Formats: sequence, C-alpha cells, structure tokens
Amino acid sequence: MALEKISVIRLRDVLLVTVPSEPDDETVCALQEQVLAAMARHESKGLVLDISTVQTLDSYFARTVSETVQMVSLMGGRTVLAGMRAPVAVTATQLGLTIPSALTALDVDRAFDMLTLPHPGEPHV
Amino acid sequence: MYERLTAGEFRIQCEGDIVRARKIVRDAATAMGFGLTDVTRIVTAASELTRNIYHYAKCGCMRWRTVNESGKVGLELVFEDHGPGIPDLAKAMEPGYSTGKTLGMGLPGSKRLMDELTIESTVGQGTTVTVRKWRKLA
Amino acid sequence: MNTANTASPSPATVLGSEEDFRLLVESVTDYAIIMLGPDGHVATWNPGAERVKGYRAEEIIGKHFSCFYPPEVVQRGFAEHELKVAAKEGRFEDEGWRVRKDGTQFWANVVITAMRGKDGTLRGFGKLTRDLTERKQAQEQIKENAQIKAALKEVGDLKLALDAHAIVAITDAQGKITFVNDKFCAISKYSRPELIGQDHRIINSGHHSKEFIHDLWTTIARGQIWKGEIKNKAKDGSFYWVDTTIVPLMNEQGKPCQYVAIRAEITARKQAEDRIQQQGKEIMELSMPVMQVWKGVVVAPLIGSLDSQRTQKFMERLLNYIVDTNSPVALVDITGVPTIDTQTAQHLVETISAVRLLGAQVVLTGVRPAIAQTLVHLGINLTDIVTRSSLAAGLQVALDILHLKVVSKNGSH
Repeated sequence: MALEKISVIRLRDVLLVTVPSEPDDETVCALQEQVLAAMARHESKGLVLDISTVQTLDSYFARTVSETVQMVSLMGGRTVLAGMRAPVAVTATQLGLTIPSALTALDVDRAFDMLTLPHPGEPHV
Repeated sequence: MYERLTAGEFRIQCEGDIVRARKIVRDAATAMGFGLTDVTRIVTAASELTRNIYHYAKCGCMRWRTVNESGKVGLELVFEDHGPGIPDLAKAMEPGYSTGKTLGMGLPGSKRLMDELTIESTVGQGTTVTVRKWRKLA
Repeated sequence: MNTANTASPSPATVLGSEEDFRLLVESVTDYAIIMLGPDGHVATWNPGAERVKGYRAEEIIGKHFSCFYPPEVVQRGFAEHELKVAAKEGRFEDEGWRVRKDGTQFWANVVITAMRGKDGTLRGFGKLTRDLTERKQAQEQIKENAQIKAALKEVGDLKLALDAHAIVAITDAQGKITFVNDKFCAISKYSRPELIGQDHRIINSGHHSKEFIHDLWTTIARGQIWKGEIKNKAKDGSFYWVDTTIVPLMNEQGKPCQYVAIRAEITARKQAEDRIQQQGKEIMELSMPVMQVWKGVVVAPLIGSLDSQRTQKFMERLLNYIVDTNSPVALVDITGVPTIDTQTAQHLVETISAVRLLGAQVVLTGVRPAIAQTLVHLGINLTDIVTRSSLAAGLQVALDILHLKVVSKNGSH
C-alpha cells in the first residue's frame, strides 16, 4: 500500500520523485529502495526529490534522505531537494537537521536546470 | 475571547501511529490558531517524541490539551511510556546522543522547537516527556 | 366618713424600740442587714441576707464573714482590712464582687458601720449589703454599646472613604448583586435598580477565558481573596478595565456568605500598555523589512540588536519572502546591527542554513571591521558563507550567482 504512494518518473536522464505530504517510515524506506532501483536501471545522472508538499520533516526522514543522497552519489548521480516549504526549513534548521551533500533548489524547474545545465555557483547544503 | 478547550489521548502502538499522531497534533494546533511555522514546529517535535516511544518502548500514549496560564494560551503534549527509561537524562538532552537507532535529535531538538520541555524517567519503569508551546500574540 | 384616726400612734407608744427595729430589719428583703461580732463572725441574719447571699440564718450565724468574698480577695486580707477601716473610721463602704452560697458571684454595695458601746468599746459591726448586679450589668451594657457605636462609626467612616475612592459591589453567595456604590453605577453606566439582583455577567466583556472566570470563582468559593485585572463592559457597550480585589465574607460555618468586590479603574493604563505593545510590534516589523531589489534577489537589512524571538521572526519572514518571490539569492545586511554576540551569530548561521534548505543562498553584507573581529574572536565559523563588506558588493555577488551582468549603455562597465 505504501508503495503506491510514490512514483519515480524518468525525464531524459534525470529521475523525478514526488514525496507525499506526510510520508510514514515505510514509505520513506520504500522511496529509497525504488530510487536506487531506478538509478541502477536507467543509469541516471541525477535525482530531483520534489518535497514541495512535505509538511513534516523529522529526523528519521532527514536521515533517510541524507543516506539516499549518499547512495545516489556512490552510483554516480547528484541529488537536488526541490521546493522545501519555508516553515519546514525553519523547523528542520532549529531541530538541527542537515542534509549534507544534497543540492537544493527553490523549485523542480530550477532543480532540473542545476542537473542538466553545467554552471557553477549553485548552493550546497 | 473564550478559548475552546481541547484535550485528548492517543495510543501509540505501531509505526503508522507516528503519522497519525502528527495529524492529530496538526489539527489541534491549527484549530488553536498557531501560525504555520509554529504548527510545523509542534508537529515535528510530536513526530520525534512519538518515534522515541515507538523505538524504545514499543508502545505508549500521547495526551494533548490546551493550557491557559496567566493570560497565555498554549498547547501541551504529554508523551508517556512504560519502556526501559533513560539512564542518563543530562546525556539524553545532548544533541547526537542515542542509545538506539535514532539520530539522537529527538529530545534536544524538541526542546528547541517547543517553549518548554520537561522529562521524567525511571530506568525499568518508563518515561514521561511533557512539552508546551505558547501561542504568540497575533 | 370617720375622720378619727384610730391607727395613728399615740405619742406614748413612740417608735424606735429595739423590737421595732428588729421587725423592720426582718421585713427588709432587698438588703442584707446583718451584725458581725468584733472579730467578724456573723451574729444576726435577716431575710434580705438570705435572699441576697443564699444562706439560712442557722447555717451562717457564728461563721466568719470572709466566706462572702471571692477567695482571691480573702487572700489579700481584704475582709479584715474592711473591719479595721470601719473600726477606725466608724464606716467603710465598698463596691465589689461577692460570693453567694452556691458559689455564684454578684456585684455588691457594702456599708460596714462600727457599733460601739457607750464607753466606746467595739461591740461589733452592722453590715448592709445591696445586690447591684443588674445595675452593674446595665452600666457595662451601656459602656459596650458606646464601644460598638464607636466601632460602627469607624466602619461607617471607612466605608465612606472606600466609597469615595473605589468601585464597590457586594454580592450574595450565589453572585447576585446586593449592593453597589455610586462609583460602580457611574462606571458601568447602569442605575442601581438595574444592577441589584443581577449577577456580574451583566458587565461581562467576554474578554476573559472560561478558565480565568473559573479560577476566580474557585478561589473565592474556597474563602480566599482573589486579585486580578478584569475587562468589563458598560451599559453603552464601551469597555473598561478594573484592578479587582474580591474578598469573601464568611458565615459562622466558615462558608462564604457574601463577596465584596473592590475595584479601581485602570482603563487608561491598559490602553497605554496596549499602545506600547502595538508600537513595539510595529517597531519590530519596521526594523525588519524584506524587499525584492531585482528579479531573484531579495534584500533584508537587519537593524537593532537581535534576540532569539526577533531572529526567529526574521527567519520566518525572510524564508517566506524567498519562497513567495522565488528568489535564489538573499542579501542579509547587518550594517545596522550594533553588536553581535555568540547567540546572535548562531541565529544568523541558522538563518543561512535554513535559506539553503530552501534552495537559495544568503550573502551576508555590511560586515563592519568590529563585527568581523568579534566573529573571529567568538570562533564563529562563517567560512561557508559568502560575506561582503558593503551591500553594493553583495549585489554584485548576487548578480554573478544569477549569471547577470550590469552593462553600461555606452558599452563599458
């Protein structure tokens, strides 16, 4: 049941995953499995995690995302977290969460630009 | 203005209850008129503390109620379990300290997100964490 | 009518014989008239003495008269003293407590007269005792009444003073108003008849929470004094604030039977407080403007000192604005921040991290030499943060990030 909530879309050589607004642990876990499977299948060069609808980012979710970013990196891809809501960003910072090695973008559009247009100066978390 | 009194109790028994607890807290905090950022803070703290119960004690309960103290209105959440308890409370409040499979963010992080956090724990008997957030004047 | 006075005594039978005197004494019941021997032993007893002191003649004749006195008076040797004075002066008069046979006491007027023979030898004493207990009690009652009157006057004066100063209302145990003073009527704009019999809901403003009202009632119902500030509503719908003290008056069972509410108006102070709070809020808002200066670039100048609350508010505003305007670059200018400490610096670092999570970047501008020194001395790691000394230099960085270039119209920079 949890697996149905996530769909991994492939656009050219980038994977796009939309994270549901209140993912439970099972969904978060499944997300990681599916992303890694898709990475292997398509040899994608990047992953865009659309978190624009996510309302709660707690430490478990942050850790899973952080792990996924590192795993994707080991498989040769870069990850961009796109569209984090302002209250979620404030809360995550206050909670002390960091997602090192992930790139961030204001929206999916910019995230795609970052992965497909080669230019420097993009922000790193 | 009169405040509507809300209070309730929710049992935490399975992993899915973490998300259900978040929903309950989100609804309660929103109904009380907390701003979106504060709602997110409260829900995130609730998520951390519920997860602690699930991970360390397997089951427990969350109680919530509105509190009214010297003109301030706030939301109080109490997380209670009869799990193993915390041997070193001071250490448990340090970021990154964890005896299990969590990041160790739960307690210190929740303290930062909320206005008040008190914790009582007896090894072998259980743990009670009480957090409060006061509603800022509009 | 026979005018001949058959009962009138003839001069031959002149009154004054010892027998006449005995009869007279025997007939007196309101006074105890007794004779004492020279050493104070009771020699004669009359019905008055029996009535006043409770002894029958055969019980008391021959006994020493000190048994008429309370023990502590006897101890002082007062009885002997009376006789001595009477013997010396011929007469002794005194008022004081005496004891009856049954042990009860009565307030007595006593006159002791020395009786001497023709040769001047002391034959004994005549003792006349009147029971003045009732008169004494009446006197005490009058004295007490005077005291009560004085106390009542004092209470009345205090009430007048209170009435002149405060807003006063009294309710019964159920909260029904039984008394209001003029000041209460004036401030509430209700007439006295409109208020009497009502409860205080008539002036309820609806401002206070149920818990607040509940706390008030449980406090006074326990018999404790409640103090607090209450917002009330007058008849014309206007609001007023009163500093209120409610004192429960207790009945003999220790239950509150009346509540006295004493209030002072504090509307002006409350309004001033509200104004200050409002102004404080406005100043806070004013000192943290966030604006878009270019498509994709927002500027947030920070002015004044930063505490946790302000920084949190600033963080929320900045982040929301970045999302709303979809701006990848935020220039945070701290030229207007007078001093910076570890706490403030930590808040800034947090803000910058949060902005990064959104997918935008902060350029910190206006870092004056003193601030730069402080930051280094505090050991704040700002190496990952792009900083510039001026807002202009910061704007250049922002344009670089956006791959924009400012070109002069005549072709040069």
